[in-house]
Amino acid sequence: MQYLVDLVVSGIAVGAIYGLVAMGFALIYKATGLVNFAQGEMAMVIAYIAWTIAGTVPGHPWLVVGGALVAALLLGLVIERLIMRPMLGEPVFATVMVTIALAVILRSLVLLVWDPYPHALDIGVGRDVIHFGGTGVRSAQVAVMATLLATCAVMWAFFRFSRIGKAMRAVAADERTAQLMGISAARIHAVAWVGSSLIAGIAGIFFALIYDVSPNLYHVGLKAFPATILGGLDSVLGSGLSGVVLGVAENLAGGYLAPSLKEITGFAVIIAVLMVRPFGLFGEREIERV
Amino acid sequence: MSQATLEIRNLQVIYGGAIEAVRDVSVRVEPGRIVALLGANGAGKSTLLKAVSGVLAKEEGEIEGGAITFGGRDIAGLPAEMIVRLGIVQVPEGRRLFAPLTVDENLEMGGYAAGPRVLAERRAMVFELFPRLAERRRQISGYLSGGEQQMVAIGRALMGGPRLLALDEPSLGLAPIVIDQIYSVIARLNKELGLAVLLVEQNAQRALDIADYGYIVERGRIVLDGEADSLTANDDVREFYLGVSGADQKSLREVKHYKRRKRWLS
Repeated sequence: MQYLVDLVVSGIAVGAIYGLVAMGFALIYKATGLVNFAQGEMAMVIAYIAWTIAGTVPGHPWLVVGGALVAALLLGLVIERLIMRPMLGEPVFATVMVTIALAVILRSLVLLVWDPYPHALDIGVGRDVIHFGGTGVRSAQVAVMATLLATCAVMWAFFRFSRIGKAMRAVAADERTAQLMGISAARIHAVAWVGSSLIAGIAGIFFALIYDVSPNLYHVGLKAFPATILGGLDSVLGSGLSGVVLGVAENLAGGYLAPSLKEITGFAVIIAVLMVRPFGLFGEREIERV
Repeated sequence: MSQATLEIRNLQVIYGGAIEAVRDVSVRVEPGRIVALLGANGAGKSTLLKAVSGVLAKEEGEIEGGAITFGGRDIAGLPAEMIVRLGIVQVPEGRRLFAPLTVDENLEMGGYAAGPRVLAERRAMVFELFPRLAERRRQISGYLSGGEQQMVAIGRALMGGPRLLALDEPSLGLAPIVIDQIYSVIARLNKELGLAVLLVEQNAQRALDIADYGYIVERGRIVLDGEADSLTANDDVREFYLGVSGADQKSLREVKHYKRRKRWLS
């Protein structure tokens, strides 16, 4: 029983990271209709930047987080402005290929600027163990679960109440008509990229805190992608929740069946789900009037 | 709101670098007037509206020649959101609501550039024009009936505070009684607010009923234009667009005669 609880709790924690990255996927898909395959790489780059700041000015955890998030904001802005905007109006396939290229470039950039060895991100917090009954959890794991919940709440309010959030839904529904109403699609895209990059950055920092910073960190993107599919590509909240589902599922499969199954659990789950609900668990069905 | 004339001069639009959709078209919409653009499917009417609204690029269309000015200002090639801010707002063909959004949210998107106070005023005006929408304001717009959707589409455009309202086939796919309502609202907007209207229609009868002036477009060119009354009285228009023909069947020769004459006119 204790074993099961341990697996579920650590599954929720890692799933929360997947969920955050998956929300980043969904946010960009919703606003621009693109799958950004560089999502995991963006998380990795921000984690490395956080690690660098932590090494340069030790003992200031908030400075590390703040600095890394500013970097994430700039990263999103730069990618949208320099790489994605010129691709506006090009075929979707070509644009998605560009994000794959971006992923490869960011991966190489990490090796070029930093080094190929794993490092611990030590900002002096997050490593202490909290005990709930017999289960020990690191405070960073608790924090990432809380962060996922908070991010979900923020996104919900954003789409529901903010003008830009509603405009993003309008652009997602019908981009040309949105332009006819005076909504600048390019600006909405920029907001989505910045938001997505911020969420990816948060996920990257938590991953680095709980595990480590290494050039393999981008794998978190591969793990999170099934969560986005499961939740529905255009459902930001659904993707967040599905990340947790997949995190728990892969931990259980790894713990009870075989450790090697861990890597493929996510994809096995989405194959099963997509057969029943091709638009994902929370994806929007096309509205059709009969 | 100041007045401005929309003037399209010798416009030529080409799709994909090869297909000429609009050729040498000149249209003028003066303040407070309703101008109808009539013609069959594929005549180039919608292309003309897209050129005015600045959304041709999405479909690989390009303005090759001519000029579009609004209030003396050159607007050809401006980004769509700038044209909306200048006061030309379009109700697109087929309504094209933001289906997953509620009626309220659709209206809010129409007034995207406006502040909250202006927004509230305009929303009240829209609800006054279409009381039905007030009842349905929290409903998902994609599930409304066709007529209600058209009301949302027009309301949404009005939220942008237009000086010129461009409507692309507002009667498309609607029941006659709903078309009556929509047209009476268009006429009312024009009379009470002095709103200039550029009305694109296949339904020539309806359009000429409320229009001051009309242009007839065929295969990307203007083949006839004139005051609505004179167009309605024109024999060729009566026969080919209004479906009012003389008692006896016309022979094919006479159709040819009409075609020849149009070539003269264009």
